[in-house]
Amino acid sequence: MKSETLRRIVPLLKKYVIFFVLIGLMLLFSILTPYFFTVQNITNIFVQQSYVIIAAVGLSFVMIGGGMDLSIGWQISLVGVVTATLMKNVGIPVLAAVLIGCLLGTLLGLFNGFMATTLKVHPLIVTLGTMTAFQGMSYIAANQSVILNLPASFKFLGQGHVFGFIPVGVILMIIVVSIASFILNKTYFGRYIYAIGSNDEAAHLAGIDVKKTKLMVFALCGLFVSLASMVLFARTGSAAPSTGPGTEFTCMTAAVLGGVSFKGGEGKMWGVVTGVLILGILSNGMQLVGMGTYAQYIVRGGVLLAAVGFDTYQKSSATKVKKMG
Amino acid sequence: MNDIILSTKNITKRYPGVTALDSVSVYFYRGEVHALLGENGAGKSTLIKIISGAVQPDGGTIEVDGKSFAKLDPLHSKKNGIEVIYQEFNLVDSLSVAENICLGERNGLLVDRKWMVKRCKEVFAKMGVDIDPETLVRELPTSRQQLVEIAKAVSKNAKILIMDEPSAPLSVSEVDKLFEIIRTLKKNGVTIVYISHRMDEIFEISDRVTVMRDGCYIDTLVTKNTERKELVQLMVGREISDSYPLKQCEIKEVVLEIKHITGNGVQDVSFNLHRGEILGLAGLIGAGRTELARMIYGADKFESGDIIVNGKSVKIHLPSDAIKYGIGLIPEDRKQQGVFLEKPIAWNATIANIKNIAKGLIVDRKKEKLQAEHYISLFSIKTPSIQQLVRNLSGGNQQKVVLAKTLATNSDILIFDEPTRGIDVGAKQEIYELMVRLSNEGKAILMITSDMAELLGMSDRIIVLAGGKLSGELRKEEFSQVRVLELASNVKQEIMK
Repeated sequence: MKSETLRRIVPLLKKYVIFFVLIGLMLLFSILTPYFFTVQNITNIFVQQSYVIIAAVGLSFVMIGGGMDLSIGWQISLVGVVTATLMKNVGIPVLAAVLIGCLLGTLLGLFNGFMATTLKVHPLIVTLGTMTAFQGMSYIAANQSVILNLPASFKFLGQGHVFGFIPVGVILMIIVVSIASFILNKTYFGRYIYAIGSNDEAAHLAGIDVKKTKLMVFALCGLFVSLASMVLFARTGSAAPSTGPGTEFTCMTAAVLGGVSFKGGEGKMWGVVTGVLILGILSNGMQLVGMGTYAQYIVRGGVLLAAVGFDTYQKSSATKVKKMG
Repeated sequence: MNDIILSTKNITKRYPGVTALDSVSVYFYRGEVHALLGENGAGKSTLIKIISGAVQPDGGTIEVDGKSFAKLDPLHSKKNGIEVIYQEFNLVDSLSVAENICLGERNGLLVDRKWMVKRCKEVFAKMGVDIDPETLVRELPTSRQQLVEIAKAVSKNAKILIMDEPSAPLSVSEVDKLFEIIRTLKKNGVTIVYISHRMDEIFEISDRVTVMRDGCYIDTLVTKNTERKELVQLMVGREISDSYPLKQCEIKEVVLEIKHITGNGVQDVSFNLHRGEILGLAGLIGAGRTELARMIYGADKFESGDIIVNGKSVKIHLPSDAIKYGIGLIPEDRKQQGVFLEKPIAWNATIANIKNIAKGLIVDRKKEKLQAEHYISLFSIKTPSIQQLVRNLSGGNQQKVVLAKTLATNSDILIFDEPTRGIDVGAKQEIYELMVRLSNEGKAILMITSDMAELLGMSDRIIVLAGGKLSGELRKEEFSQVRVLELASNVKQEIMK
């Protein structure tokens, strides 16, 4: 009886190990500092991380589909700078500017997908190129300066609250995660994404339009990234071209941490969210404990290596022989 | 000749829930060709893995050349002269033949290409093989890559050479070449452990044959004093008819017309396929059979020609077009092209028609489950649950999942590319019965196969490709191995002239 329950619990523990790491970290920092587990601080973490989560969700789509997008950091900058310029310098209504920004993001993603599918080059290489191109475009669009004092109605997206206490950015994040999760788990399009990521030749022969699916995945990634850009710049209230870069690596780390396979075909949205939150809590907690930024980098790197190592260990022990039992 | 070079004594290996090997004792003589026979899951692979050190036994001993071991690891196994050639090659594509053969060895501190080439030539001379040592491995066809793989093992002075299904990627004439090499090695005192599902080969090449079943050692027989029927019975533990299932359906109207298809090495091929017919497509490796099938299915583009389905000319650019017109493909390479190994059975069985079992965008889980269960019972797929990962199924059951996936798209024209490659005897029979049942139901089947017995036994009609061209057609009453081989090598001779 006892071994029977154990047999059921052990795989569950393994499956949700990343979740327990999150809980463990929260407990750890709650013990280390009284400032960590307060409503104020936890809300802060969510507000700060909501844009990262949205971008990471976009990146995860590409990664599950077997691709990679290094350009999302500069996509955030480019979309943000263009949207800000439109509403601030050109004088287009906020809503229209936001919509154009989202369209731009989708097109940037589509372009990545188009290049990857027509050149038949790995998306890692393609986006290495577009990343640099987007960087240049961002600086040109911003005229090499920072666009300050964005309109209040725009800032509401990042700073406002619904019912007086729920941050708008967090609500947007929850909506995005729900939609993404719905697409991946419930729709046939979601199946296609996993299919092309796990075996694109078999997917091709199963009648799936691999090229079209890849294009759509990249476009969706671009759309999500543009939303992330809105939430980020609405929170900061100003748009600087140098704000976005770096996000791609945070998102990649979070995705891998959350169980998205680098080879494609695997990954869950709750894992990605947990991954981002772990990174967010780590940097928040370490800051509160008084560790410097540089020490934080070391810990973050270590956490990623540990997670990947654990994953590989788990997979190899699963495929070899289950020696327990 | 009667000295024993390798023996296992009471080797046992347990996995949770299964005893993979149950006290297996078998011995191998120096310089014999010893075939290992058994259905998938009989324990052949586990036994080999224990001998090669990839897996450690739970009990028993292994004796190599008089030395006794409780277990071996790969390094010690190699040190004792044991080499294994697995179905998946272990060659570095981007290196030359010589570099591959000398991998892990050196002459002095620096890379010595001349020495490598010399060593490589020595090995090839010993084997009677003619391959340029400086060619890159990826430029060689599969059959020649296999020779390199064998040469690699030979160059390590292997005393015991284990070959796991070495003939699977080879055509008939290439198998002959392989056998020549095996005979040469044998003369040099090398023991060959030969695993194959092809009975003809076992009778042709082996001195003795050991049969295994369900993890147990059954018997070892001297091949020349043994009959085929006897072996099959020992293997399956029950009477099995060696014959192919009987068809009860007459051949009806033409459903697929291929007209002057050209592209990917295929030149101007035309043929018709009828409802209720199994049309065998024969040819040597590289004759263009798979290429032709892939073009018909829309997996690859063709340059010119027409495809006519049910009297209507159709445009097929993608597999989804072919599926729309009722054409299905069971691809050649099950694991790379047929299934998604890391996904469950239900997921695999529904991926090709998932759009049709969705309400709008949303997948109907109930229909998905029903469909998976339907095919599991229809094809008797052996699995504890529809959520089992396809990776954990045997080759035969994986093939049934591919078939389920393809049939779910309501295909009436089915292209089987090597439907029973690497599948054990019992499962083969099941696949044959399925194919006949489908053809009785009025499906049209195009079957590509390199297995001569299967080709002659299953087909209603045979067309043969040679060098990308159609070299002939055989009616049932004209069927013979000789005729097929003549047609298959026909064009090659013309070119040589």
